[in-house]
Amino acid sequence: MSTIEAEPVALPARRRSRSELRRLLHEPSAVIGGAIILFFAVLAVFASWLAPYDPNAPDWMAIRAAPNAIHWFGTDDLGRDVLSRVVFGTQASLAAGMISVTVAVLIGLPLGLIAGYFGGIVDMVISRLADALLACPFLVLAIALAAFLGPSLENAMIAIGISAVPVFVRVARAETLVVRTEDYIAAARSQGLGHFAILAGQVLPNVLAPTIVQATLTMAIAVLAEASLAFLGLGQLPPLPSWGAMLDVARQFLSEAPWMAFWPGLAIIALVIGFNLIGDGLNSALNPRH
Amino acid sequence: MNRIGLALAAFLTIASGLASADAATLRVGIQDDPDALDPALSGTYAGRFVFAALCDKLVDISPDLKIVPQLAEAWDWSADGKSITFTLRKNVTFHDGTSFDAAAVKFNIERMKTMPDSKRKAELAPIQDVEALAADKVKLNLSEPFVPLLANLSDRAGMMVSPKAATEKAGEFAAAPVCAGPYQFVERKSRDLIRVKKYPGYWNAGQIGYDEVVYSYVPDSTVRLSRLRAGDLDLAERIAPTDLKTVRDDANLVLHSGQGLAVSHLMFNVGAGTKADTPLGKNSTLRQAFELSIDRNVINRVAFNGEFLADNQMIPPSSPFYDSAHKAPTRDIAKAKALIAAAGMTRVPIEIQFENTAGDSRVAQIIQSMAAEAGFDVKLLPMETATAIERYMNGNFEAYIGNWSGRADPDPTLVAFFSCAGSQNVNKYCNKDLDAILNQARAEADDAKRKALYVKATDVYLSDLSSIPLHHPNWFFAARKSVAGIVMVPDGLLRLVGVRPVN
Repeated sequence: MSTIEAEPVALPARRRSRSELRRLLHEPSAVIGGAIILFFAVLAVFASWLAPYDPNAPDWMAIRAAPNAIHWFGTDDLGRDVLSRVVFGTQASLAAGMISVTVAVLIGLPLGLIAGYFGGIVDMVISRLADALLACPFLVLAIALAAFLGPSLENAMIAIGISAVPVFVRVARAETLVVRTEDYIAAARSQGLGHFAILAGQVLPNVLAPTIVQATLTMAIAVLAEASLAFLGLGQLPPLPSWGAMLDVARQFLSEAPWMAFWPGLAIIALVIGFNLIGDGLNSALNPRH
Repeated sequence: MNRIGLALAAFLTIASGLASADAATLRVGIQDDPDALDPALSGTYAGRFVFAALCDKLVDISPDLKIVPQLAEAWDWSADGKSITFTLRKNVTFHDGTSFDAAAVKFNIERMKTMPDSKRKAELAPIQDVEALAADKVKLNLSEPFVPLLANLSDRAGMMVSPKAATEKAGEFAAAPVCAGPYQFVERKSRDLIRVKKYPGYWNAGQIGYDEVVYSYVPDSTVRLSRLRAGDLDLAERIAPTDLKTVRDDANLVLHSGQGLAVSHLMFNVGAGTKADTPLGKNSTLRQAFELSIDRNVINRVAFNGEFLADNQMIPPSSPFYDSAHKAPTRDIAKAKALIAAAGMTRVPIEIQFENTAGDSRVAQIIQSMAAEAGFDVKLLPMETATAIERYMNGNFEAYIGNWSGRADPDPTLVAFFSCAGSQNVNKYCNKDLDAILNQARAEADDAKRKALYVKATDVYLSDLSSIPLHHPNWFFAARKSVAGIVMVPDGLLRLVGVRPVN
């Protein structure tokens, strides 16, 4: 706790980022998490080269074949290669994690900044709206939105993104409330800088760190949410692969073809752990309170 | 010591009492939550499934699709086919104790024909008036000869409800139906269960084996099976074909299977609104190409472990009116491509909508994959069931995988889907020639001549191909070994008379 005072609040930007990167690399959880995310990112980007088969090509003669030399992870209920589908499914999961959280940050961060900076009635309106959204459990809200928008990966990402907005409003607002009483904000104001310039130039950089940590942790939730929506038939449209949808189908064959559930299940667990680890690592590295 | 012994004995007595009470309850897992429990309003298979316990009908169908007596002991068609006289069973009472007689039949038929939101109007349309000739004799006068009438009366249109209850509780009858079946209504918890108990005054009460039947709503077939295996249910309807091995391998379970009347078909929107404006909606040659691009046997084998019946007609082969001359075409990609080229196209886009169930989802993906080889770019649109049905009823689809439960007589199915004003003709197909043939067939009392007309009808609807029939599902019920007396009937309804517990 005593380090709070010792921590310089506004270091020159470049020096700060370098020291934080070094700190990040010393966080084992961040390194492991980063490695996992990197692994999946490579899978997603190079899926076409890495997957042994077309993930959507059925083989009518190999329905629910157990893992073998030809199909390492076995085949699914339509004779499609599970390995290829898991590899291609990475694209949907990563895209859902990243894009939906980007949507949430792009909407939530500015709203939180405005609420915290201006206060008063603006703050009240924005905060109450965020509270209203937060009152709905995250997944329930996402399911409701996705059902309303209709099944597709894009709609699932929008639904997850909107559901995650209030978290970022809260984080950004709370940090802004702290920052706006700092002397350098008063100094900026006395120099005659406008509200926008102060928000963008002085407040935003200080709000960014906790937002990034929150974003990484939210990605884990978003990946799970996408899998849940796909499981319910509200995500990626068939025949395109998605881990959640693969689990939904596999559920009917748990006893006779467990490999159909095992691999996509493992992939979801690994990716979620990856995001959580890197989020924890970032938190330790960026949060001055640690 | 003595007191403890006494308490223990009392406990054991109560426990064994509970156990025997349990043994007389039949717990049935059903896939859907029934809609209104009023035979005039019901529109679901699940509703019919529960009615089989609650409401007896004038006539019933046998496993070989013959019309057999139920509340009517005998019937007699007039020579011109324009009236039919029923001799009713005597000493039959409704669950409220009122007696069943000719006046009750008259009340019921008039109720179904006049109730504003009755869904039975089309089935009973040819009935002009009902005459109660005696307490046990009732005559139906028809506007025209209508052979399928008996088959219609073997379903909801023939279910008799208590006139007293229906009059006194008009509007809320469905909440506590009063009929003349073997079991009477006790309670319903929406989206959970329906409980019925033995009606001691039933005309065939000696054949009722259980004191109570509980229908539990368990939508997922795998969960139904798990609960059955765990002993939490005694019987589960519609076991997934992919789960049959599990049932067959389980020594505590018995698989009850039988041919059904149902059909799954790929329906094309040919005339309903803007969604009909697709190459496949406008061109029957392309639809024929589509049929040639798919292999029904592969669909059956991959999606249903080969447990269903791959077929190209709306009427199942078990029907005496099935047309064995119209065989399903074998898959022919080259010919399909040639037909597409003849229509001046190379790639043909189409969006197939379906209910997001395991079976339909597999069928849709298999069709997508097979049709692509011929040049069809199939987009899939899975929909949650309620939304899918709403869109289906509004003709809001380019193509739709329909599942029709079928009827004992070919008339209701073919008229519903193919006559210009058919109740299921949501894709707005209309061919006046076919209408004429179907009208002729329903008036033809001679079975051979009637069959010839249905062969003609089959020829027309298979050429226009507004819908491509894919397969006929078979019925699979799984029950614990302790349930005896289950008889499978093609309508897939569980008749409880004769079903009893055994040790």
